[in-house]
Amino acid sequence: MDDGTSVLKPNKPAGRSLLYTLPMLLITFMFMTGGRPDFSDSAQILALMITFAGVNVLFFLMHFTGKTDRYRAVLFIAFALSLSFTLISNMLETRSSMSFNQSDILECRIPFCHLVIPMMIIPAAFTESIIFPGSIIGGFADIASMVVLWLTATIVLGRGFCSWGCFYGGWDDGFSRVRKRSIVKNISDSWKWMPFAVLFMVAITAALTLVPTYCDWICPFKAVTEFEQVTGVESALKAGVFISLFAGLVVVLPSTTKKRTQCSFLCPLGAINSISNKLTPFTVKIDKNACSECLKCVKTCPLFALTPADIKEGQASIFCSKCGKCIDICPNNAIHYGIKGVPAGTRKNFSRNLYLFVSFLFLAVFSSGSIINTLRKLLDFII
Amino acid sequence: MKNIKLIAGIAWAAAGLLIIILLFPGLETMSGKLANLPFMKINPNFSGGEVERQLVSPVCTLDIRRPVFDGLFSERKEGFVQLDWRGKLPGEIEDSIDYNFDSIPDFYIKIDTKQSATFLKAVNPAVRDINISAATSYGWAVRVNLIRNPSTLPSGEL
Repeated sequence: MDDGTSVLKPNKPAGRSLLYTLPMLLITFMFMTGGRPDFSDSAQILALMITFAGVNVLFFLMHFTGKTDRYRAVLFIAFALSLSFTLISNMLETRSSMSFNQSDILECRIPFCHLVIPMMIIPAAFTESIIFPGSIIGGFADIASMVVLWLTATIVLGRGFCSWGCFYGGWDDGFSRVRKRSIVKNISDSWKWMPFAVLFMVAITAALTLVPTYCDWICPFKAVTEFEQVTGVESALKAGVFISLFAGLVVVLPSTTKKRTQCSFLCPLGAINSISNKLTPFTVKIDKNACSECLKCVKTCPLFALTPADIKEGQASIFCSKCGKCIDICPNNAIHYGIKGVPAGTRKNFSRNLYLFVSFLFLAVFSSGSIINTLRKLLDFII
Repeated sequence: MKNIKLIAGIAWAAAGLLIIILLFPGLETMSGKLANLPFMKINPNFSGGEVERQLVSPVCTLDIRRPVFDGLFSERKEGFVQLDWRGKLPGEIEDSIDYNFDSIPDFYIKIDTKQSATFLKAVNPAVRDINISAATSYGWAVRVNLIRNPSTLPSGEL
């Protein structure tokens, strides 16, 4: 534990950063290889080693430079791209198409994703069943595993899941970084309440129809994963909605506003994760004594999670996904990762090191499978 | 009080670290336990409902599932019955189906598996039309739309 009042200093001694990275090296090695790397498949071992090295270099740099967001974003965006690549390439290999057909629905073979969770709660309570045509356990992206992963991550990380665990978030995070300056400014931050309205709407409509309405009609990420085969007017309309929302909320608006607009304005799971921010031990705190109220953090926050009022209060709002962007940009090191119960401005290094270890470990292990798989396929293509 | 809060906060954060470290090795066990909970089953509107009767022929087996009208609180007015033909299917399937087991056929169904064409002739006024008819990994599946209580319909709709 540090002295409690020190300010984070960039470029720490490399030896100390290496020591901090050592447990991550060991744990990620165990998880990525299962403890027994298979040296008989050279392409697979190469993909694994690239992923393993890349992940740990990013973690080392986070500690060494004192910067969080720029290194987190690399892995987070790679996760989103590689997951879509894995899903699409699997679909093309097995079905020659990105769309699923009626037999996939009849045989409950649709991969489950965490965005379904807000819609399955009420039906699960009243009908004791899950309204999704997927596999309960076993197979790719089964319901039980995905629920356990999300539930655990959201309890520990809160809305940190949206920046350290969501395999879709990297898309709009990536597009929000395309331009150096935003073109569209002065967006009302009251839009950040919109996901609660979406959550209410999809939870009610899904309960009444027993259909996961968000997945069926709204989800923009259907455009980069899989969607219902277009066989008529209704399915064509759905495909149009998916593509339009992806283009608008994930590509165009993030590129022009430098904000994660899909996460901020639409995602119903983001609303639940915001509530779970109350449970998590980790938070982002503002040391009011060090803050010069330059408001750079307010401008840079991609999720509208910081307002001047939050700064006065000394803590980021429930919308904070702990991406670290505000912490990186603060010229006075006034913003820092904190632990609830620990006063702002104290034990900064300890809180940061603990939070980064927890969140990065989740991201590294969760993302490694799809990144290794993507690299493997690319290597197969090149070699 | 401040110290209690501080210790509780750090303890909860340390527990978080432990939880994440144990999450991935324990994922299979935890998801297995979750899968055993009573609500962890696929809703009949997706799974097709339980098989109520199995008719075995020399070439294939026909599963007739229970009619599904399941709603959130009570049964819905409209639903479906799912039929699954399993095994090596002939080019043409033709069956009379008695889904309510009153010994009177409710509808006749003919499937041209080569052309993916399905024909339905309703006998029971509760039988409406074909919802889904598709080849599956095990053979062929059909969902036929039903009305729970046809007597409530205006006579013109029957």
